Amino acid sequence: MKRESSYKILFLGRLLIGLIFAYSGYTKLVEPVENFQAAIAAYEIIPYVFIPWIARLIPWIEFIFGVFVIVGYLTRISAAMLAAMSWSFVMVIALTWLMTGSIPADCGCFGEGSFVHFPAYQIFILDVISTLIGIRLCLMRSHPLSLDALLGK
Amino acid sequence: MIRLSLNKMNLRYIVTGILLTSLLVLSVLFIKQQKAHELATQPKVLPSVSYYPVPKSMGPDSAPIKMIEYSDFQCPSCRFATEVLHQLLAAYPGKIQLVYHHYPLTGHPWSAYAHQAAECMHIQGKFWPYHDMLYKNQREWAAMPEPPVSKLVEYAEGCGANMELFSNCMADPAVTSGIYAEKNEGTLRQVNATPTFFMGDKRYVGPRELKERGENDIRRVLGLPELSFSAPPDPQVDQTPKPPTAVPGGE
Repeated sequence: MKRESSYKILFLGRLLIGLIFAYSGYTKLVEPVENFQAAIAAYEIIPYVFIPWIARLIPWIEFIFGVFVIVGYLTRISAAMLAAMSWSFVMVIALTWLMTGSIPADCGCFGEGSFVHFPAYQIFILDVISTLIGIRLCLMRSHPLSLDALLGK
Repeated sequence: MIRLSLNKMNLRYIVTGILLTSLLVLSVLFIKQQKAHELATQPKVLPSVSYYPVPKSMGPDSAPIKMIEYSDFQCPSCRFATEVLHQLLAAYPGKIQLVYHHYPLTGHPWSAYAHQAAECMHIQGKFWPYHDMLYKNQREWAAMPEPPVSKLVEYAEGCGANMELFSNCMADPAVTSGIYAEKNEGTLRQVNATPTFFMGDKRYVGPRELKERGENDIRRVLGLPELSFSAPPDPQVDQTPKPPTAVPGGE
């Protein structure tokens, strides 16, 4: 009974990080890639030579693994992937702040055309929470209300 | 028998994954294609887009590179981009023509005032000195707790404006409509961040993009060797050096 109710909370967490990443990836994918390149370029510690590659790769990972977490396909691996991404964003924000003394006014997380805009310090907190949810989901052996459960994995 | 059922289960799992991934990828590609089609079929210039239909341009009409800028006077990135632009214009004299378009962002409360003032100075043929003055003093007027009209007037006087014309123009709603018509034109081109630059169909957002990628594209058009930087090749662009001819698609 206790386990069921704790999974209800975790299920909400699963939906939350899945939706955040899926929406974040989608808004970047349907916009010109240069907009996201500029958002990454605002983090001065990232060498420019990598930026066009990162800008093309990250939105697909966010979108596909975000949807995977929502529907519960490869749930543990997908959650681990989102946790790793969230943690890498935490590190980028922290290192940018430590090395340059400032962080970008807008995190660039949801694409420039999105109706959601967070300052980098707010997204820092959200990314820490996402990392923790992702790790917790990854540690769970089975996930009710998922394609994994339906397909018998 | 057990092995067979496991294999069946794995196969079902793999097929589901492939179907799901394909569905997601195809949906995004379809939406992107629809957007690209909409963009391609839209006119590059809207009729009567500007209140004062003389382009805010710098550089000769014969310049082989036509660059369009969508910018916001209150945006700090645009201030940095202006420095990069000045460096590029100085490094390639007579080779670049820059056309400025208003793109006042809604998040910047004093942008509308600054753009109105700049357009009023454009009507008096003093857009560029005023443009430079607005960016040079951006920290001063942008930080004011109330609309920075007194500062904008002071800068206009400093640029030698006819102040009666300027005052009348500042209150003219038709000028404001012209500014927002320019912004709408940018929005139709999927501009939603400032500064955004176009050279032909290529887009550069932000000062770092302009410096790192834009300069090499300028050099490519001019037939000059590229600076050391390796971005992924754009499949839609011919990568071979071109003779110094005009970039297609400029306004």
